[in-house]
Amino acid sequence: MKYHIFRNHTIEPFFKGWDVSFSGYGDISIIEDQKMDAYIWWYQLPYKVNNDIIIKEIENYESLLSLAITNLIANKPVIIFTLQSIFKIDYISSDYRIEKAIYEHNQKLESLAAKNKHIKIVDISGFYNHYSQEQLIDWKFYYLSQMPLNPKLSKDFQTWFNRQVEITEMKRKKCVVLDLDNTLWGGILGEDGLEGIKMGESYPGNAYRSFQEYLLELHRKGIILTICSKNNEKDVIEVWNIHPDIILKKEHITTYRINWNNKADNIKSIAEELNIGLDSLVFIDDNPAERELIKQLLPEIAVPDFPNQPYDFSKWMDSLTYHYFSTYRLTEEDLAKTLQYKENMTRKQMQSEFSDFDSYLKSLEIELTIEPANEINIVRMAQLTQKTNQFNLTTHRYTESDIQNFIDNNFWIYGLRVKDKFGDNGLTGLIIIEIENNQAYINTFLLSCRILGRKIEDEFLKYMLIKLKNTGVEVVKSDYIKTLKNSQVENFYERFHFEIDASSDQQKSYSLNLKKANNIVLSNTYKLIT
Amino acid sequence: MQANENASLSTVNYKRMKERVKDLLKSVLELDTISDEISQYNCERWDSLNHLNVIVALEEEFDLSFEPEDITSMNSLDIICSKIERLMQ
Repeated sequence: MKYHIFRNHTIEPFFKGWDVSFSGYGDISIIEDQKMDAYIWWYQLPYKVNNDIIIKEIENYESLLSLAITNLIANKPVIIFTLQSIFKIDYISSDYRIEKAIYEHNQKLESLAAKNKHIKIVDISGFYNHYSQEQLIDWKFYYLSQMPLNPKLSKDFQTWFNRQVEITEMKRKKCVVLDLDNTLWGGILGEDGLEGIKMGESYPGNAYRSFQEYLLELHRKGIILTICSKNNEKDVIEVWNIHPDIILKKEHITTYRINWNNKADNIKSIAEELNIGLDSLVFIDDNPAERELIKQLLPEIAVPDFPNQPYDFSKWMDSLTYHYFSTYRLTEEDLAKTLQYKENMTRKQMQSEFSDFDSYLKSLEIELTIEPANEINIVRMAQLTQKTNQFNLTTHRYTESDIQNFIDNNFWIYGLRVKDKFGDNGLTGLIIIEIENNQAYINTFLLSCRILGRKIEDEFLKYMLIKLKNTGVEVVKSDYIKTLKNSQVENFYERFHFEIDASSDQQKSYSLNLKKANNIVLSNTYKLIT
Repeated sequence: MQANENASLSTVNYKRMKERVKDLLKSVLELDTISDEISQYNCERWDSLNHLNVIVALEEEFDLSFEPEDITSMNSLDIICSKIERLMQ
């Protein structure tokens, strides 16, 4: 399965070894990929001391998600993780606004899934609940690499997530084959008699009652219950008819084989009668010899172990549910066999406030500051050339003294600072231009992946082109130098009508005639500070 | 004059540790072979994301915790081994 994952933090370690591609942070642009099978949406809340910002972040995710959903390839499954906070700052212990916003967000996800068959919601708290907060967060990695979740949980995550995917694919078992003695009740009917078997309110009867109630609940959810027991049929029918404590009755049992034949033949016969595959069956029997027999003769059947003590039933029942009976959504078929449920009428709707991406962008209140190189930002500029791999047209690596050298040679070196209503991303873009007479050459153009997906790169370049033109520059030349990591900018300059002067497998050289370029217009989506 | 016996790991222990590190790097970076000179500069797969995976794996393998300053400098087999040696004393 190949996944494309939309995310806003670093989560690559959690999918190590899988066939996945990752979006930019908060980037909802779609990559054309024929081989992709499904999408995953996993947005995590950041650590912020201001709770109001968290609320805004949640609203932001909803807008992004709505916009993204409309652009996804329709029939491919989308797995969306619920939102859960692992950081929490309780300034005011009665301030539940964040919990409320998270809850409502997850409700909206539910109604999104209810309306769209290809969208499945996975509750991430099912994973988080296994860990304490100390285990969930490794602060070192949070600050070093924007990973809110402790990377040491990766392996556990993969196991858990694989199981969730199975559940969303609805691979649950269809039928349980049950023994009777010491399985549904304590004791042996043939020996202890009707009065002697234990199903009453005191121990161990009450544990067996719990198990019967559990099975009844499975039955209501569409699981077929059957019996395979070495007993006299007459005796069992008597239990069903007159025992005051029996919960699982004849009407709940779809078919049974109560005889003294071997259980493998009986179970095969049950499967044939019900016309279901052996791999849809779960066989539950307290007797390890019987369990071993079925494991050997009918290996497709799931044969869980049975608890040694009745007081261990509850824990064991949870694991039965987890391994065999969890389902994502009950189908009509399932429900036809079960009681009707009342529908939840008050579902909130997932909506974007914004009709299109540009209005969404405007709402972010993005401020772009374009500043020339100076002795302070030169450090960060050099660092950007060293670290930026993806949105980097030429991938030249420079030190501070290289950049100082450029400054001394009158190159134009401008950094881009990006701020929005959520915070300040700092210096995250860089352009280095060499100018000779009326010709300019773009030596370096790069943006940090943190600020991609918002067309900021377009604005930055346009601003520089206009500035160059106003200075009297007539021709702008540039290069795209191909690397393993920068294929996303392969056609970047083409968007601005640069012409290709030369091209090979490894490189493209461009030029733009600025005299003829009359329609470079800055957008009003961003506030530009220069 | 007493020799400082704790100045470094014994040669045998150092070699053992280095083999563990090499195996770990091979596994995390998904390499068939690995040279003693391996570093982020000569191994394309050892990018910043895989460096993270390397560090996490090292911390779990040796039950150590590296400080951020060390993490950024641990970009070759040799440097990794010397950091581990220092912490293991």
